[in-house]
Amino acid sequence: MKTIISINNLTKSYGSIKAVDSLSLEIAQGEFFGFLGPNGAGKTTTIRMLTGIIEPDNGEIAIAGNAYPNLKPILHLIGVVPESRGFYEWMTAKEYLLFFAQLYSISNPHKKIDELFGKVNLSERKNSAIATFSRGMKQRLTLARALINNPKILFLDEPTLGLDPQAQEEIQNLLKQLNQNGVTIFLSSHQLNEVSNLCSRVAIVNKGRMVVQGTIAELQKKTNLEGSTLKDIFLALTNNNHV
Amino acid sequence: MFRNIWLKELKEQLYTWKGTLWLVISSLTFSLISYLLLTDKELSLLDQTEMMWMLAKVIISIGLLIVSIDASSIISNEFEKETAESLFLSPIKMKDFVSGKLLASLTLWLLIFIVSIPYILVTSAGTKLFFPFFYYVFLLGSLGVFGFIMLIFAISLLFRSSKNTLTTSLVVLLALFIPSLFSTTLKNNSFALALGKVNPVDNIFSSLDNVLVDYQTSLFHNGQFILPLALFCLITLMFLVYATKRFKQAGVVKNG
Repeated sequence: MKTIISINNLTKSYGSIKAVDSLSLEIAQGEFFGFLGPNGAGKTTTIRMLTGIIEPDNGEIAIAGNAYPNLKPILHLIGVVPESRGFYEWMTAKEYLLFFAQLYSISNPHKKIDELFGKVNLSERKNSAIATFSRGMKQRLTLARALINNPKILFLDEPTLGLDPQAQEEIQNLLKQLNQNGVTIFLSSHQLNEVSNLCSRVAIVNKGRMVVQGTIAELQKKTNLEGSTLKDIFLALTNNNHV
Repeated sequence: MFRNIWLKELKEQLYTWKGTLWLVISSLTFSLISYLLLTDKELSLLDQTEMMWMLAKVIISIGLLIVSIDASSIISNEFEKETAESLFLSPIKMKDFVSGKLLASLTLWLLIFIVSIPYILVTSAGTKLFFPFFYYVFLLGSLGVFGFIMLIFAISLLFRSSKNTLTTSLVVLLALFIPSLFSTTLKNNSFALALGKVNPVDNIFSSLDNVLVDYQTSLFHNGQFILPLALFCLITLMFLVYATKRFKQAGVVKNG
């Protein structure tokens, strides 16, 4: 299958700390890719470099045929649920999505927004101020914003963080549906059950370096942990009891 | 796209009452000054043109102060409230982001100026100086505000903190205001004279003096004050371009 995201020797340091160290990976078009690692492993920094928010110190990035440093055109192709989730709290949810729809020059934005509110189950609160939203509702609004431009690639940094189990399942079903419709998904999450259920391939990073990547069956083979869960593999590879 | 940013900022000013509060403060200050000019024993003895000169200085000073305070947070808030990352993940260009915010700050100045029009009308009643008064307060105020906004935006992009930006901006504003308030006897040495020639606030006040007290109302006669102001705007624009480049190099999220 055609490669849509390609990273080669990607490196980023903050002072003496190497946040991402010679990271290489390839993701095929239409793939649901899980990106795992303990806190501080470099997952968010990697996503920020891939989405053009921060610049790498070294290495190559190519997304949908656009190579770093000319990543600006990908902004029309990608949707991102970032780690930082600030909102214009004084806006209503509808005004918020309308603002972003205008930035993307979406035609017929009201129809698109209503469709998205239905998808993320926020239709009843679309005219409420964001300041009155719970964490879970804000999370769903972030996902709706990420989908406003019908992205071909979705970067998700902990998309179900703070959601109750029912809402988590709703979001997971939505992501499955999007993936079935051809959207490539790059998912960073600490919910290992979620990653097991959704992702066709997984990479585990630790201290900025790639530890292992492949399907869960391949990971079991590589680590001699056949029959074990993704959580067991993750703990064995990262020596970290805090997932 | 800058239009969307501009409209967002205007709505925020309206929804959060911040903008309305600034206008009420401006109006109250202008009312207080006008009341003092009419009722205070010493101030009411001033010549009408001197009253106009004093009011013009107050309008521009209040405009500069309020717009500077407001502009200090207009960019920094995007970083402090963590909205910058989502914003820059959309296809917005840096120049649209900055120009939208710049236009929003200039709109606040325009609104303060509109609030001041009745006071300009009343103070200049019976003289032939209404139009020069109106025109020069707008022109000089706009140039000064424009330069200061660009300076503050540049500081905001470098610091990304509204507290640091506000403190630095107020220090710069005071450093430029205080020498312009010195009496002419204190300005008689060459250093003070040279400083007066380049200080934008000094140039604004000197031009107002030229128009309202010496009746030199043509642009030609005020070119010596307007040109340094335009130069100040150009320098702050260059500083803003430099800060924007530094911002791009550092990334939208620092230490991310």
